[in-house]
Amino acid sequence: MLGQLIVSGLAVGACYALLALAMVIIYKTSEVLNFAQGEMAMVSTFVAFVLLEGYHIPFVWAVVLTLMFALLLGVFVERVFLSTAKEPTVLGLIIITLGFEMILMGFAGWKWGPDQRSFPFPVSSVEAYRLGDLTISRINFWTILICLTLMFVLFLFFRYTKLGMAMRATQQNVMMARVMGIRTKRILSFTWAVSSMIGATAGMLIATLGVLDPNMMMDPLLKGFASAVLGGMTSLPGAALGGAILGMVENVFGGYVSLSFKGVVAFAIIVLMLCFRPSGLLARHYVKKV
Amino acid sequence: MVKRVSIIGAVIVAVYWVTMPWAFGQQVRGVTDTEILVGQWGPQTGPAAAWGSVARGTGLLFKIINEEGGIHGRKIKYFLRDDSYQPAKTKAIVKEFLEQIGVFAVVAGVGVGTGMAVRDELMENKVIWVGPATGVYNWIQPFQRYLFAVFPLYDDEAYHLTAYLFEKMGLKKIAMFYQNDDYGKQGLMGVERYLKEKNTALVVKLSYEVTERDLSSHALKLKDSGAQAVILWSSPAHAAILLGETAKIGFKPQWASSCTLSDSPQMLQMTKGLWAGTINSFFAELPDSDHPLMVKYREWHKKLEPQERWGVFYYAGMMFAEPFVEGLRRAGRNLTPETLVKAMETLKDWKGTGPPITYGPNERQGGKHLFYGRVRPDGTVERLTDWVKITK
Repeated sequence: MLGQLIVSGLAVGACYALLALAMVIIYKTSEVLNFAQGEMAMVSTFVAFVLLEGYHIPFVWAVVLTLMFALLLGVFVERVFLSTAKEPTVLGLIIITLGFEMILMGFAGWKWGPDQRSFPFPVSSVEAYRLGDLTISRINFWTILICLTLMFVLFLFFRYTKLGMAMRATQQNVMMARVMGIRTKRILSFTWAVSSMIGATAGMLIATLGVLDPNMMMDPLLKGFASAVLGGMTSLPGAALGGAILGMVENVFGGYVSLSFKGVVAFAIIVLMLCFRPSGLLARHYVKKV
Repeated sequence: MVKRVSIIGAVIVAVYWVTMPWAFGQQVRGVTDTEILVGQWGPQTGPAAAWGSVARGTGLLFKIINEEGGIHGRKIKYFLRDDSYQPAKTKAIVKEFLEQIGVFAVVAGVGVGTGMAVRDELMENKVIWVGPATGVYNWIQPFQRYLFAVFPLYDDEAYHLTAYLFEKMGLKKIAMFYQNDDYGKQGLMGVERYLKEKNTALVVKLSYEVTERDLSSHALKLKDSGAQAVILWSSPAHAAILLGETAKIGFKPQWASSCTLSDSPQMLQMTKGLWAGTINSFFAELPDSDHPLMVKYREWHKKLEPQERWGVFYYAGMMFAEPFVEGLRRAGRNLTPETLVKAMETLKDWKGTGPPITYGPNERQGGKHLFYGRVRPDGTVERLTDWVKITK
């Protein structure tokens, strides 16, 4: 049972990791915790659903169009709500994301209604691969594979592309990046776009593993946040590792200790990490001299 | 002189005032010559919004009543408010119902927590409340003079559903998956009560919190228990997620569920077909029933509210309100809380589209019957029994 718990935990942990990555990318750039991340992902997932079920567009094209929508949504939020804020404090920006989250939630409820739906993913959720006693469903296998691939692509993007390096430079020091000729405002918008696309991918996978409805991201977003805190709010590999660990720990805890308290494991981790290692597992703890 | 005139003036005003009808108590809150004001709260947004169609279904019934000319010359004016399944909002809504709108009665209302937040206030103000949309003891214990329950009790429903699985289907190893609140716990109570009488117990009982979405460890525990049947007392979303998780690990027990999951087409869609074969209890006629009232409602639905899906929770909203409408008819033109209570108490095995309803001077649990069905792969239901009495 332990192996099975770990495998199932990894699949859901991979989704937490994606959400954590989406949050960390924005946090690193602007120190803003994007509480609208979940609802942005949810709306993008509904767009994919409409494309697939309403317009019967082939799955791959529906995903591509959804990612484009997510990109535009990210840019829209940054340009319309955040960059127009007058002399904003970080707290003010966070409150803006909270407000936008509520707008999106209300919009989804109005537009698509409260009914829960199954998300049409072209991989069987019933058939499974077997490795000895271990069973991994095709959907879980593909979820883990897609998440790992996306993380690898992100790694390559940040390490080897000009745009990725510009984003890292902006994340490290906005003023210096600007001096070096980087258009930091544009980079900031792009950061939101990338984050929104990662969130949309997570949303589609989470809807496939569960059901699609306007509330589907509430729990995963909190778990994604916990994963980011666990791995380190400023570390991309840390966020990925945090998600995987959280998914597995939660499942093993539920299997062997208590299902009733499984839901609070993530929050216990947040408290413990903030008490004993506030910078997270992989992030460095910077101390500013004054 | 001035003093005398003042006294005479005051007396005239007082006489005029006390001879007005409302001073005799003739003005009943929420009842005018032409209207009866009725309210309902329901989750139109938030986590329980899928059950929000109950309140909209009630609205359709009242529209039909009004189209047909009303009751004793009065039409029903209906106020639907969204409480998002949050007791604090329900309280605010009831405050509005009482202090601003002045409703005569409330009908249905989804949720135990939401209903409990306002039950005492409604009763203190003698607001008639018919058909809370949950089957818990909280509505009838302690006895509430102005509260008339319609929904069959979860405890008894679970007891008889377990008996059906145990005796009729021969499934002795039973597990339960339930929501960690009054709804789930009262279902658990009935299942355990039955199994205790048979000197056995659940092979495993697993609860979940409403916000949880990852149920993979629940699925593994169920598989590990070797259960032949699993009883679900959960939300539709959690039932769908659990069925998906168990299918992934190749665990296929006999599923059985409360009537709260009896929207078979929706459950089939959500579970990608895994819901087929589930044994369900039902508190209302089936969607395609040829019961004369159901035929009539379907026609009005097409005419007045074609945009609404004809699902079980939608027309359950009508079913919960039917005894209230019948009570209004029996109460006659002189409508007060007391005349309505007396009229409601005359309902004996009265049949609408739900279970037979019986009230009495000391009886407020109206619905005591259910029937069972098996979900077919196409979403229709094979009716397995007639109405079965589950509460003595």
